[in-house]
Amino acid sequence: MLSRTADNLYWLSRYVERAEYLARIIEATQRLTALPLAYVGETNEWEGAIATAGCAAAFAEHHKEATESAVIDFLAFSRDNPSSIRSCLEQARSNARAVRTALTMEMWDSINGMWLELRRYGDGATSREELARFLRWVQESSLRYDGSAYRTMLRNDAYWFSRVGVYVERADNTARILDVKYHVLLPDNERVGGPLDYFQWSAILRSVSALTSYHWVYRDNLKPWLIADLLIMREEMPRSLASCYEAIVRNLDAIGNAYGRVGPAQRKARSIRTGLQNSKIDAVFQRGLHEFIGGFIRDNNQLNNAINQQFLS
Amino acid sequence: MRLHISHNTTYRYDTPPATVTQILRLTPRNHDGQHVVRWRVELSEDCILHEHEDAYGNLTHTFTADGPLNELVITVSGEVDTQDTHGIVRNAVERFPPQFFLRETDLTKPDAAIRDLAAELRDAGDPATLPLLHRLLARLHRDIVFDVAPTSPTTTASEAFALKRGVCQDIAHIFLSASRLLGIPARYIGGHLARSDDALQQEAGHAWIEAHVPDLGWVSFDPANGISATDAYVRVAVGLDYLGASPVRGSRIGGAGEALKVAVAVAQSRQQIQD
Repeated sequence: MLSRTADNLYWLSRYVERAEYLARIIEATQRLTALPLAYVGETNEWEGAIATAGCAAAFAEHHKEATESAVIDFLAFSRDNPSSIRSCLEQARSNARAVRTALTMEMWDSINGMWLELRRYGDGATSREELARFLRWVQESSLRYDGSAYRTMLRNDAYWFSRVGVYVERADNTARILDVKYHVLLPDNERVGGPLDYFQWSAILRSVSALTSYHWVYRDNLKPWLIADLLIMREEMPRSLASCYEAIVRNLDAIGNAYGRVGPAQRKARSIRTGLQNSKIDAVFQRGLHEFIGGFIRDNNQLNNAINQQFLS
Repeated sequence: MRLHISHNTTYRYDTPPATVTQILRLTPRNHDGQHVVRWRVELSEDCILHEHEDAYGNLTHTFTADGPLNELVITVSGEVDTQDTHGIVRNAVERFPPQFFLRETDLTKPDAAIRDLAAELRDAGDPATLPLLHRLLARLHRDIVFDVAPTSPTTTASEAFALKRGVCQDIAHIFLSASRLLGIPARYIGGHLARSDDALQQEAGHAWIEAHVPDLGWVSFDPANGISATDAYVRVAVGLDYLGASPVRGSRIGGAGEALKVAVAVAQSRQQIQD
């Protein structure tokens, strides 16, 4: 397979996954801002949303203040933001076109359909209801793309590269949610366990569709260390860091087996996974969750670079 | 290196026992130098295998088989991808601070002869930890003759040192005893070795030790072969001594005349290039 094809497939999956993640963040933030001020305090949730999306610097270039309409426009529809939902879906479609022959009919239909539908939204949503429909539509489109890849793609290197893209992006997203929630949104003076926390933490869980799973796993009310355990260590939780790395290692191993050689990307992925498997959440809290997540995001980027060097360039 | 490992433990009983309960430490975990590709534990009897983690972080399986049993076979097999890390063990499961591994045990209790050895090695040159450990490694490799005849699993470090003979387990115990005397935390490692002479079938697993070196962390030393662990080694269990890391321990109700046979095969499987 050409490096260029692998590169396109990898990034196609990352863009679709990122679009879904942005839709999830906007939804979760809307839910938080809909709560009475007495519960959530004076924090600006929309600033948090920008930070979680990892585009605070780009946002500051275009807007002075993080208002609801400015943030939604920037994250969802803006052409100035290279990782808005619109830009992601357009990039995804142009990548898909470049590797049209490596995709199945169903995958191409889902990507192309997404792109055609996107044009219907023009410069943005006109009402809250329309925005809500738009956000649901983005998530459903991502589901359709993911599902058609899973159901129709031949299990060869094309499939494995596209899976690795999904999970590298997803691991990055989950890590960012955890990081921002700890350090931007938890006010210093609020006692841990207060009503503010309850809504913040349940919003985190909802943003990764994990609220019900949490209660199934722990049968307990919401506790920050258990939430961190669920989203970092638990392999059975599909958006957790451990589960993403289980999948990354499995798919990179499949590539290694097919090509008969193992290189820095496989080693890096295995090392990150081993770190997650061998450590415990208590130890992570002792060393500091922020440091741990920061280290993880760096490791994840290094893996991206290793994949880039070994396969994509 | 991709290693294919199979490890068979067979118990035969002259008088069948009513029940047998065992705890298995036969499953390796990942660290930076090894990656478990697949691993299976199988038993010849129908029973539930419970997976746990012991205090050292070893993966354990426990089971109770209802008899009467004439024979019990435990088969583990799997594939592990390994890399040479020059003996440095990073990213392994750590459940205790290194100082914990300064503890003496019954099997590693030093006697006067081992004390003399430790004192002599300390004064023999560079007092830094790493050169000291290398002197100890070289000395034990030279002085202790590998011999399966005179020792048993209950032989202590001082008994084996007096005999100047033993198997890898005994040499490891002597190393641990001397190293702890010198104030260097050291722990027992049970595992597998793909032998360079291509001897496929082995009669037991292998054993070596890890010592804690400032700035490097845990470093492995195999006194039976006089080297640090390479990519031919698969690390399975950690303990203060053999008893903490032993592959199979258990008890039975009834029965007599137990005969134990172990067959281990470690082979390099299909070629794979490591860039």
